[in-house]
Amino acid sequence: MAHDQTAARVDRPLLFRIVAGTLFVLLVSLPVLGGPLSGSSAGVSPYVANIIGQIATFALLALALDLIWGFGGILSLGHGLFFAMGGYLIAMHMLKSGYVYGGVTPDIMTFMGWSELPSYWALFESFPYVMLLILVVPGILAFVYGYVSFRSRVSGVYFAIITQALTYVAMLLMFRNDTGFGGNNGMTGFTTLVGIDIGAPSMVVGLATTSVLVLLVAFLACGALMRSPFGRLLIAIRDDEARLRFLGYDTLWPKLAVWCLSGVLAAIAGALYVPQVGIINPRLLSPEVSIEIAVWVALGGRGALSGAVIGAAIISALKFWLTGFVPELWPFILAGVILLVVTLLPNGLLDLKLTFLRRASTRKASARPAE
Amino acid sequence: MKRRSFVKGLITASAGSVIASPWVARKAFAAAHTDTVKLGCLFSSSGTMANLEGRLNFVARMAAEEINAKGGVLGKTVEVITTDPGSDWPLYAQLGRQLIQQEEVAATFGCWTSVSRKSVLPVVEQNDALLYYPLHFEGEENSKNVVYLNSPPSSSVLPAVEYLMSEEGGNAKRFFMVGSDYVWPRTINQQLKGYWAAQGIEPDAWREEYVPVGHSNFQTLINEIREFAAQPGGQPVVILTVVGNSIPDFFREYVNQGVSAFDVPVLGLDALEADFEGLDTTSLVGHLNCWAYLQNAAGPSNQEFLANWASYVEANDIPFSPDVAIDPMVSTYDGVHLWALAAEKAGSFDVPAVRDASAGLTFACPSGYDISMSAENNYVKRGVFIGSLNENKSFDILWQSPDTPEPVPFSPYMNT
Amino acid sequence: MQPAYAGCTFPALHLDLIMLFFRRTLARFFIPLLLIVASMPAHAQDRAAILTEICSGDFAAQQSALGQLASAGVEQGETGASWARTIVDAFEGRNLRCGDGMAVIDGDAGAVMAGTLEPVTNVDSASLDAPSVNLRLRAVAASANAVLRLFTEMEAAERLNAANYIDQRREAATGTNIGAALERETDPDVRAVLITLRASLLMSDDDPTNRIVAIEAIAEDATLRNRTMIAEAIKTETDAAVIASGEAALADIDQTLAIGQVLATLYAGASYASVLFLAALGLAIIFGLMGVINLAQGELIMVGAYAAWFTQEAIRVTVPGLLDYYLIIAIPISFLVAALVGLIMEVLVIRRLYDRPLMTLLATWAISILLINTVRVTIGSQNLEFHQPGYVAGGFPIVGDFIMTSNRLFAIAIAVLAFVAVVVVLRKSLFGMNVRAVTQNRSMAGAVGIDTRRTDMMAFALGSGLAGLAGLALSPLYNVNPGMGTGFIVDSFMVVVLGGVGSLIGAIVAAFGIGQINVIIEPIYGAVAAKVFVLLMVIVFIQWRPEGLFAPKGRR
Repeated sequence: MAHDQTAARVDRPLLFRIVAGTLFVLLVSLPVLGGPLSGSSAGVSPYVANIIGQIATFALLALALDLIWGFGGILSLGHGLFFAMGGYLIAMHMLKSGYVYGGVTPDIMTFMGWSELPSYWALFESFPYVMLLILVVPGILAFVYGYVSFRSRVSGVYFAIITQALTYVAMLLMFRNDTGFGGNNGMTGFTTLVGIDIGAPSMVVGLATTSVLVLLVAFLACGALMRSPFGRLLIAIRDDEARLRFLGYDTLWPKLAVWCLSGVLAAIAGALYVPQVGIINPRLLSPEVSIEIAVWVALGGRGALSGAVIGAAIISALKFWLTGFVPELWPFILAGVILLVVTLLPNGLLDLKLTFLRRASTRKASARPAE
Repeated sequence: MKRRSFVKGLITASAGSVIASPWVARKAFAAAHTDTVKLGCLFSSSGTMANLEGRLNFVARMAAEEINAKGGVLGKTVEVITTDPGSDWPLYAQLGRQLIQQEEVAATFGCWTSVSRKSVLPVVEQNDALLYYPLHFEGEENSKNVVYLNSPPSSSVLPAVEYLMSEEGGNAKRFFMVGSDYVWPRTINQQLKGYWAAQGIEPDAWREEYVPVGHSNFQTLINEIREFAAQPGGQPVVILTVVGNSIPDFFREYVNQGVSAFDVPVLGLDALEADFEGLDTTSLVGHLNCWAYLQNAAGPSNQEFLANWASYVEANDIPFSPDVAIDPMVSTYDGVHLWALAAEKAGSFDVPAVRDASAGLTFACPSGYDISMSAENNYVKRGVFIGSLNENKSFDILWQSPDTPEPVPFSPYMNT
Repeated sequence: MQPAYAGCTFPALHLDLIMLFFRRTLARFFIPLLLIVASMPAHAQDRAAILTEICSGDFAAQQSALGQLASAGVEQGETGASWARTIVDAFEGRNLRCGDGMAVIDGDAGAVMAGTLEPVTNVDSASLDAPSVNLRLRAVAASANAVLRLFTEMEAAERLNAANYIDQRREAATGTNIGAALERETDPDVRAVLITLRASLLMSDDDPTNRIVAIEAIAEDATLRNRTMIAEAIKTETDAAVIASGEAALADIDQTLAIGQVLATLYAGASYASVLFLAALGLAIIFGLMGVINLAQGELIMVGAYAAWFTQEAIRVTVPGLLDYYLIIAIPISFLVAALVGLIMEVLVIRRLYDRPLMTLLATWAISILLINTVRVTIGSQNLEFHQPGYVAGGFPIVGDFIMTSNRLFAIAIAVLAFVAVVVVLRKSLFGMNVRAVTQNRSMAGAVGIDTRRTDMMAFALGSGLAGLAGLALSPLYNVNPGMGTGFIVDSFMVVVLGGVGSLIGAIVAAFGIGQINVIIEPIYGAVAAKVFVLLMVIVFIQWRPEGLFAPKGRR
């Protein structure tokens, strides 16, 4: 019975299509409204396009977490680590290419007292190389960590705490200037990306559009994946792993696969985020940021990909708006939203729909996936 | 089917209008207020920098009120828009963009840590906007989009270290540098090492240690300082470049381990009156700092400033002490006035005009000096004070410069 | 090449100031004084000269004046010393004001002439300058003050304090003035200190025997400072016997110092461990019992610290005489306030989430944001000031350079107290038994009639109260502000997870292990490396043994 419910949730065609459709519309209209039509009253200023682009990367990040949490039942409170990894890689690329092709000396060389960039910066000016690294490096890290943890059957709460500790450790390390990635100053002062000036309005709109595109593709792909037999297997693992093991499945590899996929998606999100925001700093590795990602997914509704996208979009938009307008209020509103979601809407905003659309009382108790 | 789509539509519509409303509201507001000119503030009211930066928002407002009371700038009322970057460096850049692109502020006042300034720098440079930066810092920068209101090391750190090395300051011969791990302390220490090398001081006379920003447990480090102090070679001093809450933590542990200012005086380069609010300073008397303004500065303009601030705090119920005035507050205050003077002189709010008009401006700063700007760079010439901590958590003036020294943006001691 | 800060070379400025002051002094002070001086009796002549020097603003003259003041007791006995002490006190407190040919001391009862200490009425002391006291002069003045106290204080205890102070600050101590004080001294404890002091002042004496005596006297107190003194002395020493004695003394001191170093490391580790333990104790109970992850634990610590502060303020206003005991009085208050906050949290929020630990995580995190910001908005973001009563200020020098600081001792004491209290509650009380039962097997405990909901609620309150106690213990150690709790979360979780969920012994061992390793690594690789290493160690350990060090038996 529970199996059908959750399957139905993934498969909710209408919401899925609505979100996909909205993204598609956004994808198509953004270059137009942000480009030739940006001056007009219906147009979109580079500032707004930038915000939309950032929100899209957050949505992608939430999607990544929802894959493993909503469908795999594995909560990670350290996904900021992968996000930041992607961010640092692209930042290093922009600094190196600016240095090699544009002759702009990165700040990091000045305050670290380097006369040339250290060896691990080699080849970073090549965009394909960096793209490869963004796919491979987080994947490897995720694989190693996941393999060790899943094999020792570390799960649930323990796993969550350990991921939090990991990102905290990474933060401490990256805050040290001696680690060689800019320390507390992070990396900033980006000039160009793939040859275009980073501040140019066309670049801003272009990045935003690309973010939306990547989000859409990932959304569709993950949706397809979750509807496939692999997705069913994952959900089964989430609901009762022991039973599945006794049935003869090796649960390690599916979990590992989705964990690595999640890490890589988060890294891609990070790589899209940093050029739009103009700076990367170890702050991204703090536990607070990683917890916020979980909040996005929880608000939207775990176990439904559209939920993750919606949750991330709503909270980020709220944050952008409130910190500019009434900064005093933002922490209270965030706390309030979380408490509301957690106590009254355990399945996130989608609960609103469930109670509206299916009034049968049996749903409320059984529709919840196992923690 | 109908109900479902109705509900959906309702939710989407309300979400959409909630998200869109600020832009609508702002457009309406802007349409109604064309006789104001806006200034933006990038000072955090939450997070680690809140206790320090939060005050600067209110000082900017106070300065704007003063200007408005005299008729505003070019006939327009000055409106100060504050934001809260929450001590999150990337958010400074984001909000900077918002202020410049959305709010179309004429100038921005912001940032405390060099990290936050460096994150805002690309934003102001890309938009050809102006950032007035009120903190003393490490120099090595001279962007045409930033007005550096406060001292680079040549007029802050070096006079203080020279004083300590002189007979009167105690003949310091050995130096223990303790800093937070980021660009400002590292650059300062690099310049100091270059300076000492130029004086012929051997590398074994100094030691350099960094702690993470926000570090609080100085037990081991101060143990090491005591060990360092007990070795031969001359009077040891500590050059402290930790920031924020690490400062009171450091001094508290100093007292705990019984180290006094006579044994090993500390030059707290970022130590402000505000940092000692939670400490009993009777055992800390004698430690030094160096700023362009100290609350005990003599003179009527300081008395007036302090009185104005106290009454402003009371009148507006501001959550900071009315009896504490720190250097960055005065720099921010100066900055707003300098901007106003420049705009008046230029006859316009356009950034290039204001920038050009800044050359040659002077202003009577509460510190007692007449600060000025020149055409050479975007730095403000100000006086220098060396302060000595007293029992009342404030700094007595040990020495002050006879005039305003020329700021030196790029230190000759950097790459030795 | 342009100098570092053009137009502002320091030594040049110094000269200007001196010249300025000298011209002023000559004009307004010195010449009229010559006339006054001519008509004064002999010893007053010394006073005038001393006052001239100390008012002069010339650094060397001021130092010389202070030296003369310190030795006032030698020639002129108690009266001379008493006058000298008044002058030194006034100078230190910047109440000595000079100008217009006179020196005046600003006192509570009005101004008095510095030379004669007679009251003077028609002088506006505010218009006269107080000479500035830089670090060097301050040190000399403090030392002189102590020397003079040897001559002027009636109470032996006061003189003992002064003698110990001079041992640390010898700027104004000479063989002569200490010798003179010794002659007048009757109290045996003070004499002992003075004898050692004078002996060590003989380090540069001509007679080698005296030098050996001096070395041995100094070596009594095995500190790094004294070691340096002896090491420097024997570098330029010629007499073989003295060198031998010096080297023997150094070997002794080194051994003592080494012991002191080991003890210092152990103590630092123990104190850090006690902090971790206090922060993690409440968490261990809550997590062990209910599997609830309380990310607001740090904020409960903050609540406890703030409760202690309010206690202090309340006492200050109502019974200021008891102010020194506020920390003790606050023990139950911090506990109860934090327990109350925890109780409210449990009833309103956590209760609904017991079967969903991951949601509790988010909920408690939201509560932590709420707590931090509410405190920030209502009370403010500044650090709170805590009065330091005697029992948490300073420290006890034990061996070598190792000082056992009192505030950390207090924290260790509270940690021990908390541990004992919790053990007693868990083992001896009905409530404790219920808690243990529910921890081991919730459904069975419920089946035999234990009200599990109520047990959960009270246990959560207990855990929160313990966090409050931690806040109290930490207030003399760390800054107290709204965000103070956030630094403890990751560490406390590591302690709990490493120690074994629900095990108190585990928590202690884990806290001690983590604290000690951290403290050992820190001086070698730095604070960050230490922390990183410890965290990674814990993570690896958990992979290998997920249940922690001391996993309690029972069905989870």
